[in-house]
Parts: sequence; structure tokens; C-alpha cells
Amino acid sequence: MQNMNTQKQNGYMLLFRSDEWYEELSHDEIQKVISQNTDWIQGLIAQGKAKPGHALHRNGATVSGNNGRIVSDGPFAESKEVIGGFLLLDVETIAETIAIAQRSPTLAYGTSIEVRPVAEECPLDVRARELAREEELASA
Amino acid sequence: MSTQNQNQNGYMLLFRGTDLRKGLSLEELQKVTDNWMAWFKRLTDEGKAVAGSPLEREGKIVSGKDRVVSDGPFAESKEAIGGYFLLDVPAIDEAIAIAKECPGLPYGIRVEVRPVAAECPIAADIRAEAQFAQV
Repeated sequence: MQNMNTQKQNGYMLLFRSDEWYEELSHDEIQKVISQNTDWIQGLIAQGKAKPGHALHRNGATVSGNNGRIVSDGPFAESKEVIGGFLLLDVETIAETIAIAQRSPTLAYGTSIEVRPVAEECPLDVRARELAREEELASA
Repeated sequence: MSTQNQNQNGYMLLFRGTDLRKGLSLEELQKVTDNWMAWFKRLTDEGKAVAGSPLEREGKIVSGKDRVVSDGPFAESKEAIGGYFLLDVPAIDEAIAIAKECPGLPYGIRVEVRPVAAECPIAADIRAEAQFAQV
């Protein structure tokens, strides 16, 4: 299990989650948040701490079930949990990542940011190795 | 916003549900991970996948005006995101067809397919409104 204090070589991903909070704002307010947000991201890129991120359109599809037989609309734009964009950070610790996330200008409007360490290898692979070791020990 | 069937900026696949490893035997788990890596490699070789990473299972959530830090997402949640691909394909139909190939689907993984925006969609809406107002 990953130790949160461990330094990560692979950086962190910020996932921006929100409902359509900006629908309530005036034109001037929205313009202000957008320029604050652009300045925040450009500042991080200039410091070499972020790679250019992407915003996502609020529509899309969800594929599930065996062979992807279920295709549904979604996510639903009005949900608070919809991911509206992401940013990849090239920083070494989760503490620094959290400190960066806390300066996001959109938080003031009730949004949230998920902070996730990017994995060096797939956690499933790590688990497969653990299982292999357990089996080896059991048969030793 | 209209559903955009064509998108120059590509699509993001978000893999939801990280708990598939529970209840799988070593062989099954190995098979899923091998198939998953082969799938990503093929998409990369075809020029259709331009980036992708698994995410560690734990993280933190920073939220709201008070910038509160809490644990999460919870690994056992069906909604937890376990990784992503960025696809350079021009149409959502093709992105959905690729999503249907995900080797995790039989084990309960769900794939969210999202059009990537050229710029912040909020900014684009505002510009469109401003242009409209000038007419």
C-alpha cells in the first residue's frame, strides 16, 4: 500500500470536480474567475510545476458491462461530481500538490479538487506480484 | 451544449472502479493487466492513444471556500477513477468503440468517455455570448 509521504517520481494529477457553479455568476464575475484561473495555471507552467492541462466538455458517454454492451449518456452535467478538467503536476510530494490545489481560484465557488499520485506501474500489477509471492511462500 | 460528434481535441477515457482485483485469482489478474497493457500499446502504436497512466489508489480531496483537505476517493467506491487514456481520434463514436475494448469491462470497470475542450468551455460560452450581444 502506497505511503502518502513517499516522494513520487511520476507527479500528481489534479481532477477538478464541480456542478455548473458558474451558471449563477454574472458576466463580470465569470470573466474574473477565468482570468484568475488562467493566471494560476500559467504561473504553475512557468515554474515548471504543471504541464498544460485540459478542460473537458460536460457531455460524454459511459461504457460498461461485458464487451461494453451498455453505452449510456453521462456524466450528468448537473452533478457535483462531474470532472470538468485536469492538470498534471510535476512536483515531488503530495504536501506540495495539496498546497498548490488549495490556491485554485475556483474553490471559492464550492468546487473540489481530487489530488491523485500518478502510479509508476499499474496497481493491479503490483497486486499480481504480491499474490504470486504469497503463493510461492505458501508452497515453500 | 450540443453533443459534439466530431472533436479536434480528442477524447479522454476515465476508468472508473478500482476494486476489480478483489476476488480475482492471480491468473485472472495477470491476464487482465497483460491485456490492458497490450491494448494501450496497440493504441499508442496506431497513434490513437497519446497519453495514459494508472493512478495510485489513494489520494486527497481539497474542497470549497475553506479549502478543507480530506481523504479520498475511497478505493472501494464504484466511482473511483483508476486511470485514464487521452485519445487522438476525431469522433466520439470511435472513442466509444475503443472504450468497448477495455479489458476491465467484464470485471465491473466502467469507462467514461469525455470530449476534450480546446479551451475552457466556460470561457468559450462567454465569448459566444459577447459576440451575440454585439450583433
